[in-house]
Amino acid sequence: MNGRALPLEGIRVANFGWVWAGPVVGQTLAFLGAEVYKIESRARIDMTRTLPPFAEGVRDPSRSLSNHACWAGNGSVTLNLKKPEGVRLALELVAKSDAVIENFGPGVMEQLGLGYESLRAVRPDVILFSMPAAGLDGPLKDIRTYGLSLTSTTGLDSLTGYLGGPPVPVENAFSDPYNGILGAFAILAALHHRRRTGAGQHIDYSQQEAVMQMVGPAFMDWTLNRRVAGPMGNRHPLGAAAPHGVFPCAGEDRWISIAVLEESEWRGLVEAMGAPDWASAAGFASHASRLENLDALHERLSEWTRRHDDRELAARLQRHGVAAAPVLNVADLLRDPHYVARKTFIEVRHPLGFSETIYGAYVKNSRTPALVEPGPAIGRDNEHVFRELLGLSEARYRELVGTQVIY
Amino acid sequence: MPEGALAGISVVELGEMVSAPYCARLFADYGADVIKVERPGTGDRARAWGPFPGDDPHIEKSGLYQYLNTGKHGITLDPATARGRALFLELVGGADVLIENASPRSLRERGIDYASLAAVNPRLVMISITPFGQTGPYADWKGYDLNAFHLSAAGSRYCGRPDQAPLEHGTFAADFFGAVTGAAWGLAACLGREQVGGGQQVDVSCAEAIAAVFVGGQNIGGYAQDGKFERRTGVGMPLGAPATIVPCKDGHVWMLALEPGQWNGLARVMGNPEWMELEMFQDMFARAQNSDAIYPLIEEWTMTRSKWEIMERCQEAGVPITAVFDVAEAAGHPHLAARGYIVEVQHPLLGGLPVLGPPFRLPASTGRTGMAAPLLGQHNARVFGERLGLSESQRAELTAKGVI
Repeated sequence: MNGRALPLEGIRVANFGWVWAGPVVGQTLAFLGAEVYKIESRARIDMTRTLPPFAEGVRDPSRSLSNHACWAGNGSVTLNLKKPEGVRLALELVAKSDAVIENFGPGVMEQLGLGYESLRAVRPDVILFSMPAAGLDGPLKDIRTYGLSLTSTTGLDSLTGYLGGPPVPVENAFSDPYNGILGAFAILAALHHRRRTGAGQHIDYSQQEAVMQMVGPAFMDWTLNRRVAGPMGNRHPLGAAAPHGVFPCAGEDRWISIAVLEESEWRGLVEAMGAPDWASAAGFASHASRLENLDALHERLSEWTRRHDDRELAARLQRHGVAAAPVLNVADLLRDPHYVARKTFIEVRHPLGFSETIYGAYVKNSRTPALVEPGPAIGRDNEHVFRELLGLSEARYRELVGTQVIY
Repeated sequence: MPEGALAGISVVELGEMVSAPYCARLFADYGADVIKVERPGTGDRARAWGPFPGDDPHIEKSGLYQYLNTGKHGITLDPATARGRALFLELVGGADVLIENASPRSLRERGIDYASLAAVNPRLVMISITPFGQTGPYADWKGYDLNAFHLSAAGSRYCGRPDQAPLEHGTFAADFFGAVTGAAWGLAACLGREQVGGGQQVDVSCAEAIAAVFVGGQNIGGYAQDGKFERRTGVGMPLGAPATIVPCKDGHVWMLALEPGQWNGLARVMGNPEWMELEMFQDMFARAQNSDAIYPLIEEWTMTRSKWEIMERCQEAGVPITAVFDVAEAAGHPHLAARGYIVEVQHPLLGGLPVLGPPFRLPASTGRTGMAAPLLGQHNARVFGERLGLSESQRAELTAKGVI
């Protein structure tokens, strides 16, 4: 057995995904060894390729740094799907693929001539993975959302904000990478099914339903007690911890997270603070009383934390058995000793000649470390896919490039 | 009901609270056979967390526990005892996948770390989901969901007001993120065992997964090159406008109208106010620079309308504006009812209990059995008796000793 083989080697995927969620589905499979081709086109550049910053400041669709990491692992072929010839070539690639990924709205693949029935005609056991905002059927199936706002339809946004205040918008689409990774699990489950039965299927992945799973704890409170939760800051979602929050530290915008769920942790915290009088007052003596006086407790704790350095304080609290960690910002990610030790972020040399920092194998597989490559330049794999895989002659290939079918 | 997609995969879960239990539930949802191992006496700590009916604590009635553990078999076993460890090894010896979220140190101390388990079952895929991961300086740190989330920089970058604390979603966002990551990477490792020559440990850090894929993906390249980074602004999307949550008569809406067609659509719905026609407001970037002026004007209009009216009329006009659903509205929406997303399980103490169904549909291979979460030790007789061959008297003896 070749020890360097990866778990999904031999699986080929055609990825029609765009923006963020779709590419991450393909990327997750690629990290694990699948051969993934993002199908894109210069006729309609994926928005993420147009976003600054660009490598060395040169504005070019193959040099967008802001989202390059998310395509790492996806290959790239360019096909203009507005031309019938482009659609035919796409179908030829599907015929040689195990799975197809798309994150358009319902019906768009059909309009392109790439609906499930068309794909099945060329590849009977194909797995088509569709991830529209609210699923393939139902009254909201045509709802328009962005990744940013999708969470509003799940109830999650209604829980996010400062205690008692209005909802505070999360400023980027947490759902996109979440759905990207869970989407890969869906495809793998369908692959296992196909291995056992020979049958493919069309996966109906509603991003709304997948993300709403995270609202499960609050949904259960609604189910059991008819209680409708609202924004709760950093408090424990089930009110089971005291203290539980993010507290100020010395310096500008420095914070520490502290969560106390058990009596032993509370004792550790009190010890670490040097057993101040207030901590042994009646109002804080038991878990129940601490929950009851949570505001006062958090205020007292803040007075103490704000005199300390976040990292030193976290280490000190950990020595006392208290769950605490510094609240990092983007710059900290590159120098935090933990991420440095785990090689979470790596510098790679892009074939176009620049260096860029992307995330590496963020999950550590003990036998088969993930395969990490720089994000693909647009059309990087055209020659390989159209000439070698699909067997086009040199002349035909040139012609299709010339007529902007391969474009 | 057709057989589940993951039929034939045998899973053992040594999980507590959210991350590993949700990961194992994903396997159970699609037809894998999942045995959950809990501490004798008290069980998974989620049993103590609630929410409870009437706020009355009871280890069989925690809503969180019910939600995360439907479709599983449950046994009690203490692997810290010699006999318990032997039984645990036997159980894991016959399994394809172990899903756990114990601290690496506690697994070493109990002699059930990956090296020990691989010696018994070289085909085992062990999915380890922890706040910080198995290696690195924080590997032995204690941490909960909150600590992992904020170590990822997600809050500091994307959530909260600049002069106030970074925020997390009002849920176990890091635990859920780690759970789905473990499920995808772990299932791949399981399916690929033949070609890679055996099982392996899949080491997931909830903090790292979010730091990499969510925060790092969009920020790290630019920061590494230019040394510049952004922080939370509290307004939604600062680059374009409108892109924020605004109040309306009965709640809030996610106000989004970035592309020209969307802006014009919003104008039509709002009755074409003159200010919206100004040249300076025809570009989303320019609008963002003037958002202080725009948002109050939009709010004047939204405050006279309900969120459902705003959503309906804007969606009709092609504008991606949605109501901010509260939990009851999300749960009760006819769309989810039409899709059968909320399913009812039968629980001996709680009766018919609605829970959120599987996260996605596999039409050719649904799998969920409708089985409620296990009572503490509910399947001891079946698993220890039928699977591991212990007689009734042996089981009684081990129960008396607190091993099972």
